[in-house]
Amino acid sequence: MTDPAIELSGVLVEMGGEPILGPLDLTVARGEHVVVVGPSGCGKTTLLRVVAGLARLSAGVVHLGGELATDGHRLVQPPERRKIGMLFQDGALWPHMTASAHLEFVLARRGVPRSARRSRAGELLERVELGTAFEERKPGTLSGGEAQRLALARALAGEPELLLLDEPLGPLDAELRLELARRIDRIQKEQDLTLLHVTHDPEETAAYQSRTVTMLEGQWDDRGGVKE
Amino acid sequence: MSRPLVLLAALLFAAAGLAPIALMALQVSPGDFGGLLDSRTVQLLGRTLLLGIGAAAVAVLLGAPFGFLVARTDVPGAALWRPLAMISLILPPLFLAVTWTALIELRGALATILILGLNTFPIVAFFTAAAAGRIDAGREEAALLVGGKRAALRMELPLLLPAILCGACLAFVFAINDFSVPDYVSSVGEKFNVYADEIFATWKIEEDTGEAVLTALPLVVLTMLFLLPALALRRRGALATLGGEFKRPAPLRLGRWRPVALLFCLAVVAASLTPIARLFWEAGGGPRPVGWSRETMGAAFGRALELSRGDVANSLVFSSIAGLVCVVIALVLGHAVERARRGRLFEPVFILPIAVPAILFGIGMIALWNHDATAAFYDSDAIVVLLYIGRFLPFALLLFSGAVASLNPRLEEAGRLAGAGPARRLFQIVTPSLLPTLIAGWALVFVLAMRELDAAILVPAANHTVIFRVFNQIHFGRDDFVAALALLIVFFLLLPGIFWSLFARQRVEVMP
Repeated sequence: MTDPAIELSGVLVEMGGEPILGPLDLTVARGEHVVVVGPSGCGKTTLLRVVAGLARLSAGVVHLGGELATDGHRLVQPPERRKIGMLFQDGALWPHMTASAHLEFVLARRGVPRSARRSRAGELLERVELGTAFEERKPGTLSGGEAQRLALARALAGEPELLLLDEPLGPLDAELRLELARRIDRIQKEQDLTLLHVTHDPEETAAYQSRTVTMLEGQWDDRGGVKE
Repeated sequence: MSRPLVLLAALLFAAAGLAPIALMALQVSPGDFGGLLDSRTVQLLGRTLLLGIGAAAVAVLLGAPFGFLVARTDVPGAALWRPLAMISLILPPLFLAVTWTALIELRGALATILILGLNTFPIVAFFTAAAAGRIDAGREEAALLVGGKRAALRMELPLLLPAILCGACLAFVFAINDFSVPDYVSSVGEKFNVYADEIFATWKIEEDTGEAVLTALPLVVLTMLFLLPALALRRRGALATLGGEFKRPAPLRLGRWRPVALLFCLAVVAASLTPIARLFWEAGGGPRPVGWSRETMGAAFGRALELSRGDVANSLVFSSIAGLVCVVIALVLGHAVERARRGRLFEPVFILPIAVPAILFGIGMIALWNHDATAAFYDSDAIVVLLYIGRFLPFALLLFSGAVASLNPRLEEAGRLAGAGPARRLFQIVTPSLLPTLIAGWALVFVLAMRELDAAILVPAANHTVIFRVFNQIHFGRDDFVAALALLIVFFLLLPGIFWSLFARQRVEVMP
């Protein structure tokens, strides 16, 4: 049996001495798509940041792919070595870079030779259906849907094993939400990616073939249970 | 963040900005404490407080309404008045003293307070305008619906107040540390001694470093008492900043108050430009019996350029290099202050060179470098650049840490997940995002260094700068040549702003 992609044990995050997340456990199998649903401020984003290594733990252990990633305060694996792609809630696109430069920046960090970066960036843009016409566009000139697709392409550029999605459909209208949800589902299956996905919208879970868990005030909500 | 890079930047800052101060502190012996609170010191403290509070009050009275009017209302010509009013801050305070005392028969405390209030009001105006410009339309519209303009103003005032008070604290600090204005005002009329020139006199006459430090101690405490709240208020000023879907509100309509607001703005701008107009008049021989003429002015500029070409070049080169070095060090440290855990705890250390009177900083530089082993460096131009870096790096650092605070941390986190190391994130993600602020930081250090006199007056190598030449000439009698030289300095001080407005498409947005 292979190790789970994500394994959180007794994870606790405190702010000013007060717990904002946990203590909680979570296991996500490889290739699984887990959606965490909960109201704003319940700790969903903190959960993703814990997995990414961007938030400090007060206690608990994080294993990724069977390897120890975080042990309490100690960051065993820095975020950049965790093979994680993340789609931030607000996109977090770099305002001074073109769409192509965003992707080339990630590809360069992953050791892709300079000569291959441009074409690889083009492929990634095609994959999220932005196309090469967007190569020289900067984030300020993109619509909400285009910006989210570029953010998705950037998250995929590093060929991650684990994709973290923070309210990916939040800023989009109904039609675009459905379209992006389908795209995410398709990419997940094609690449056999493990997806941990948080949203405040229970209806969003209907768009995916996924396992759903509910979070309330930093804890799993047993009443909501787990929906396959 | 890259630890070796932060460590290197901190070491450079310590060498340039902290070492002279630390050395000065070591010069004090227990016997020096005797005169710390004698009647003369208490009198000086009272006068310095009067100067600081008076100048800060003038700065708030002019700067707060001006900043709000040009940033948030439909006052005609706002876009033009806003940069023009800044000229008063860019001008060396000495020029304001020279021109205003020639125009108005005011002397002593009142003249010093008004001149330094006029010099520092743009700080309050700038902070107020920056905070007012960041008030979201949604917030304002919600208040307008509840109770009209009055409700909108009531909602906005608490958002503006931290920025106004922060500006007032900085105006206080600038005013009490200035040496040139009280010195000049005292030389043309009733004497008005304050700490800054007392420290200079103590050291110059008695060459007693320990006593000079002790004389300065209450001033350092006073400065810190105003600087630390300014830092805290600066963070609260960020309340007016809204992330996400920011929408700039429509200008508030002034209605029948529009002409009054315009007159006020015009008066403020006229007060800012008066010293320049007076210098033009003096450069053309205006005060002479024959009166002003273009020929006299041309000849004055020719003479100024001929006699001071070397000094002008020195000032430009020293200030430019100091600006560049400060930008690099301040970017690394400013980023660390904001992003490192407990980084903000170091901020009071980083502002020490601002808290210590400039004159004392100059004495510290001499004590540190005037030895046989370092004689070559002490006599070289490099010490002038080092002095400028030590004195003005904190200003760039505060500017950059504020800008980093307003930068979405997710941008750097996205870079980190992409595999970018700390230095690459700093130089490829943070730096391009803050480019306008970095340029503003360079310009700020350049301007401050070009007009620096208070510390440089003591360091022999700094005697070959253009501002020092003007200072000397003014005390030996003014004529058209000095006015022309002063105008040349004004031109170079305004140059970064002129270039920016001509060639840059972005407006400089900096956090107060």
